[in-house]
Formats: sequence, structure tokens, C-alpha cells
Amino acid sequence: MKSIRRTQSVITLFLLVFIGGMALLVYKINKEAPFYMMHSDNHQLGKVYDRNGDVLFDAAGTGYDENHFLDVGNLIGDDKGQMENTLVAQNIDKLNNYSFSEGLVKEGGKAAIYTTLDHAANRAVYNAYMGAKGCTVAYNYKTGELLVCTSLPSIDVTKGYANIGELESGTLISKAMYGTVPGSTQKVSTVISALEIMGPDRLFSKTYNCSGQYMNRSGKPIDCHQSYGHGDQNIQQAVENSCNPFFAQLVEDPDLPLGRLKDMYRKLGYAVNDDKPQYIDIDGIQCEKASTTLTDSYDFNTQWGCIGQGDTLVSPMQLMMWQSAIANGTGKMTMPHLIDHVTDVYGNTTETAKTKESAQLFTPDTAETVKRILLTNGSNHYTGSISGYVLGIKSGTAQVKEGAEENALLVGFVSDERNPIAFCVVLENKYSTPVYAEQIVKTLLDSLCS
Amino acid sequence: MSNPFSYIFSCLFVLIAHAGMLVNVFFNGKEVDTKEFVILCAAVLGLDIIYYFVMLFYKQHTYTVDFMLLLVLNMSVIFQSCFGGVHLSMKHYITCIVSLIASRVGYHLVRDHRWIQSKKKYVWVCIGIMMGVIVLFTGSRSMWIDLGFMTIQPSEFIKPLLVIACATSITEQQNKHKFLQFNIVWENIILFGITAAVCLLQWWCRDLGSIPTFAAIYAAGFLLRICYPKAKFSNKTLIGAGAAVLIAAGIGIYLAPDYVRARLFVNIWDDTTGNGYQQSQALIAIAEGGWLGKGPSNGFLHEVFAYESDIVFATICEEWGLVIALMTVVVILLIAASPLINPPLSYFHGTLCAGVCAAFTVQMALNIFGSCNLIPFTGVTIPFISMGGSSMATSGIMAGMLTAAQNPVFAKMKSAKPKKQKKVTGGQPA
Repeated sequence: MKSIRRTQSVITLFLLVFIGGMALLVYKINKEAPFYMMHSDNHQLGKVYDRNGDVLFDAAGTGYDENHFLDVGNLIGDDKGQMENTLVAQNIDKLNNYSFSEGLVKEGGKAAIYTTLDHAANRAVYNAYMGAKGCTVAYNYKTGELLVCTSLPSIDVTKGYANIGELESGTLISKAMYGTVPGSTQKVSTVISALEIMGPDRLFSKTYNCSGQYMNRSGKPIDCHQSYGHGDQNIQQAVENSCNPFFAQLVEDPDLPLGRLKDMYRKLGYAVNDDKPQYIDIDGIQCEKASTTLTDSYDFNTQWGCIGQGDTLVSPMQLMMWQSAIANGTGKMTMPHLIDHVTDVYGNTTETAKTKESAQLFTPDTAETVKRILLTNGSNHYTGSISGYVLGIKSGTAQVKEGAEENALLVGFVSDERNPIAFCVVLENKYSTPVYAEQIVKTLLDSLCS
Repeated sequence: MSNPFSYIFSCLFVLIAHAGMLVNVFFNGKEVDTKEFVILCAAVLGLDIIYYFVMLFYKQHTYTVDFMLLLVLNMSVIFQSCFGGVHLSMKHYITCIVSLIASRVGYHLVRDHRWIQSKKKYVWVCIGIMMGVIVLFTGSRSMWIDLGFMTIQPSEFIKPLLVIACATSITEQQNKHKFLQFNIVWENIILFGITAAVCLLQWWCRDLGSIPTFAAIYAAGFLLRICYPKAKFSNKTLIGAGAAVLIAAGIGIYLAPDYVRARLFVNIWDDTTGNGYQQSQALIAIAEGGWLGKGPSNGFLHEVFAYESDIVFATICEEWGLVIALMTVVVILLIAASPLINPPLSYFHGTLCAGVCAAFTVQMALNIFGSCNLIPFTGVTIPFISMGGSSMATSGIMAGMLTAAQNPVFAKMKSAKPKKQKKVTGGQPA
């Protein structure tokens, strides 16, 4: 009988291996069925809402006002596959009104994404551009909730893509997520780096002269926007004047060695020289960080990069996030998120956002010093144009298309516990439009703080 | 028949199971034509009842395999008759009847171990003939011989023959011969040569999916040979054999044609219109079906190539739900596991059962796991479920072998002379 048992053991072995495989298969199917379903022509998608319950995405797309979705088109996206780096494309499985046990729920499915976005404010900012191009992003620097993120030109996804060949460049992307020339807003990073390397006392003791143009040590001219110059300035005055010669001389200063400057830039998140590009993940949306070229302290391109022109590229999102590290006084960025919570087909909450911080980028002392510099700049120069707010702010003018066009940038934060808002506004080709970046900031803050 | 109540209960169970499925077809099927439905009912329930009477002619100790076989075959008739609309799938119905007849053939073929062991050289010859047929009529051109009214896949018929060849060679394990410095069992070498030749032939035919089945049948026989009471196989031999299998598999993958390698490493979701088409559609269908299915004939997968054979598990899942699909698999497993319930009475029959179980489980695994993207996709059939005459016939023969193993003939052995017993040691009751 023992020999028969051996044959039974072999049979049992085959059966057990197969049954184990079947158990694994059933588990896999149960777990992955919603994903499979997303590839079905029959899938039913839930909606995306803003923080007040307004719809930002509805696959049906009917019953809404004309251009209801226009201001969020290239951020929220849709399920048509034309815009991959959008909220819906990256989180489409969360909108699936399906469960393996329930099957496909065609009516009354409650799968939804509830975002942190304020659609009314977003729309107001979109309209404030008055047809100009650019982007604006704003968030709560305490919690990380993205409140406004609009990019122009945009698309109303309910109207389809029949005219995709005629769309303007940049229509299908949210520009806040992609690198742009930062202009003098870059000087905030250079000030932070100088403070970390030199310390505040030594930095504030430095004065450099601006005569309108500075011939750097490699014999290349660094022009100031004020042709007759700013005279002798310290760091506070240079930031307020956005003086290029000052910053060129600062970069050449032996107290700011290039090696340490590069290290500090990398700590801030820059890909320096040939470093691998880096990205910030915002609920699946890939956002470019910053990149620059730093080769020699006396080199024109290096100085030009530290001033915010040339090879330096920073995404508006990243510019805004640095403001949070300053505004919070911690030296740590508050990481932005767009999704507040997610519900499944039954309406049960399956995910809830949590506030996250970055690693320590710079010391709280540096954060407080830069905050003071920016608040001073705000109170000295922006109380008229952006009235009613205590602002820390820095402007920038970015030369693009080989100097043929100039973009206006404003980055900053509101120093107010009730409205802890950090923002970045980009207005493209500023001389071709009657709108000013300050007007957009004013609209933004009025919409969010009212 | 020791217990007529058990027989009647089994008859009723099978009949009620099929009737229940037919009721589901009637109420949940898509645009059910009453006439077609009545034909389907008559075919299924009629076959049940006729086979009950046929079985009465066979005086067996147990009818477990027969009832399970009838249950699963008519389940498959109902499944196949609902793909794309409710109408009796006559082709599949006929192959099911062929399968039932084949099971009787298989039963008679191996019931008497003495007789089949005395004919083992004919089994080798049959394998050789089938290989010759493959070389002459199919080969790398096609896996099927087209007779006009039907197609035959000759490689399928090698499976039961290989099972028998493995089982009949068991006793030779005792007859070792000194060759150079080694103790050689010539029949082991012959059997290995046969298996290797079959696998190489399948490779040449591009029917790579069947190679694991042949390998599994051989492996089951091999395992039982090294366990054979008087055999002396060392652990080194076992490890060496395992290593050889792994090396062979590695070389196989390395030498595999591009289209096979593409299938091995494809991410189906990146290639849903190419190499991943069938699997991705199968998984979508399973997802749409859920636990309870969309209802008979309500699926879409019948529009995808090989819906009735290579991806039939998914087609059933879509229309009947994962629960019913799993129950179908369980019924086939019960057929394969029947030797655990009714133990075979000889080592020969035990080895036979192990070979059949290996063939059934590996084929099911290749089909189900392959179509569901758990392993690379190969075009093999699920025994008794997938459409395909050759597969149904050979699966029937192998099911008949299981029946025979549980109802063997020992009458001749009792009268056998002692001096002849040495030759049939493997067939003695344990």
C-alpha cells in the first residue's frame, strides 16, 4: 500500500501546485479587476470635484455652462488619452465605478476624486489674463492644498480634439508643471545659498557697486535693467532693485565658493550641469524641478544663471514651493497635493490627503532672514498695486526666445495665519498685453481670501 | 453495483446541475430562441439519461469518474452553445460524445495491466507512427491535418500513449544492466529518448505549448520510477535531473523564435492590439463578468479569436461568472483527484493516474494562467471544456484510464504462474 501512496503523493503534488496557482489567480483578478476594467469600452467614470463641490471633470460632459471646464482643462484633463500628465489620466483607476463583486455600476456609482482646487478662484484668475498667456499656481503653504492652478491657453475637454492640429503651443499642458526661465525670481535661491554659505552677518556686510553695467572678471558685460545704475547696495537693496551687477559680483566673491554654491543649489532641488533631471510627484502628475549650469564663478553663463537667465529653468510650482519654506520659517517646503480625498463606487472614502514636508533645505534662520527681505520688498513696492495684503514678494523678468520676448513673474506669499497662501504668477510676453502680473496676483488673492 | 441509491443520487445530481444551468440560460440568456433552447435541453438531458443506461452495462466498483466526466462534458456543451447566442454547438456536442466513447476505449485499453504491459512495444510503435504522421502531414506548416469535414491534431494522441509508455516501463526499473561503469535501465533511456524526440518534434512544429504537458507526464513517471521500491536513485541524480531541466528550459528560451520570446516578455497592457490582444481582452471580459457573470450569451469575448479554446476560461467567466468557472475547474480537478478517493490497486495504475493528473493539471494551468497573464500565453486547451475534437478524444481516453485504474482486472494475474510474476511486479495489487 505504501507504493500506492507514493503515486497519490505525486498526484497530490500536481493538484496542490495547480490549486496554489488558482488561488493566486483569483487573488490577482480580484485585486486588478478595476484596472482591467479601465481598458474596457464599457467603463463608467465618476466625477472630479473642486473643494466646494463644483464639477471639474465629468466623462458625460453635458449639462454644463459654455467653457465650464476651460480653466482647468489642461490640469484635470480627461480620459481621451491626449493629455497624459493630468489628474484624470494619472488617477483614472480611482474614478472607476466598478468593483469585482458589484460589477459595472452604470448609474449612481459614487467613485469620485475630491480636489483641493477652488474652481471659482481658478476661473477668476483665468479671466484676469484677458486672453494673455501664462500660468498661475497658488497653494496653502501650511497644508499643501493646491488652490489655484491655471494655464493659458487651455482647452475645454468637452469639445473634443477635432482641431488638435490648430491648437496653440502649450495648450495641452499645465505650464505650472514645466520649467521656465525664472528671471530675477531666481535671485531668491541665490540669496538663500549665500545666507547658508556666508551667514547673514557677512552677507549683509557686503556692498557692491552698480553703474548700470558690470564687466565681469572674464571680460563679459552684465547689464542692469537700470542703465544709470543703482550705486552701492547691500543685499536688501539689491533684492528690492533686482540688481544684476550686484549678484554677478556676489557670485564672484571668494566668500561664495562655487563648489558650495553648487551643493546648495542641489540641496534646493536643482539639477546642476549634467545631473539627472528631477521631478515632483503631485498625485501622479509629474512636475519638473529646476536645472541650471554652474561651471566657473567668473563665467558669464554661471553668473547669468544665478541671476535667473540663460540655462536656468524652474517650474512655477517649484518657485511657489520654495516660498512655503520661507513663509513657514522652517526651511522645509510643504509638498503640494491636488487630491483631498477619494471615494469608491459605494461612496466610501478610500484615500485622504495628508500634509507632507520636504527634507530640510535650509536653516530656519535663513528662512526668517529671507522672509524679512521679501516682506520688506513687498511693503516697499507692492502695497499700492496689491493692496490689502502683507506680502513677501519677488518679481522677475525672464528673457525668452533669445531675448525677443520677456515674461513677467511674481513669486511670493501672504503673511497671514488666516490666509497662508504662496503663489507664482507667470505672464508671458508682458509687453504684448495690457495686463500686469500684479493685477493677476490681486485677483488671485481677492478670490481666495474673500 | 454495490449501492444503487448512490448511483441514483449521482444521476439526479448531474441531471439537476445541468437542468439548473439550462434554467439560467433560459432566463438570463440573450434573445433566447425557444426552439434552439429546446434542442439544447434535449441534447444535454438526453445525453445524460442515455449515458446513465450505458454505464449500467459496465459493472464497476465505482462510477465517480464517469459521473464527473458526464457532468463536465455537458457543462461544456452548455457553455459552448451559449457563446455568441443560444444554439446547440453541434460540433462540440459530437466531440463530447466522442470523448465519452473514448473514455470507454481508454478504460478497456489499460484495465488489464498484464495485457497492456505485454503490448508496450506496440505503444512505442504507435508513438512513432504519430510522430511520423506529424513529420509527413503537419510539421512546421500547421498543427492540424485538415480532412475537410474535420481537423485532427496528431500530437494530442501522443499524450495518452506517453502516459501508458511511462506506466508500462515501471517494472523495468528492476532490470539493470552493467554498461561500462554504470548500471543502466535500457527502458529508461528509451523512454527518455521518446520524450525528448516528442518535445523536439513539437519544437519543430512550433507547438511549444504542448511541450510542458509532455514534460510533466514524463516527470510524473520519472518521479515514480525513482520511488520504485527496488530502485536506487540518489539525491544527486534527482538534483542533476532538476538542473538539467532548468538548463534545458533556459536554452529553450534562448533559442526560441522571436515571436515566442515576444510572447514571453510582452507587457500585454502596452500591446493591447498586438501580442497582448487575446490576454487583455480575456482579462477585461473576466472583470466585466465579475463573480456571477453577465449572463449566458451576453458576453463580447466570442468575437475574439480562440474564444472557445485558448481563452475559454475567460469566456466562461464573462458569461457565467468566476464562481461557475471555478466550479468547472473543480470538477475537472475532482476527476484528476479521483485516485485519491478511490485508490488505484496497483503501482502500474497508480503511475497511470499520476501521468493523467500531470497532463490535466499542466494543460489547465497553461491555458488558464496563460490566458490570464500569470504565465506566458500558449495555445493549449482545457481538457473537456475547450473546443477541439483531438483534445476531447484524448482527454476522454485519459479519463477512461482513471476509471480503469479504479476498476482494474486482476483475474488473470491470480491464475498466472509464479515464474512469470517477475515481469508484472509493477502491476501487483499493493
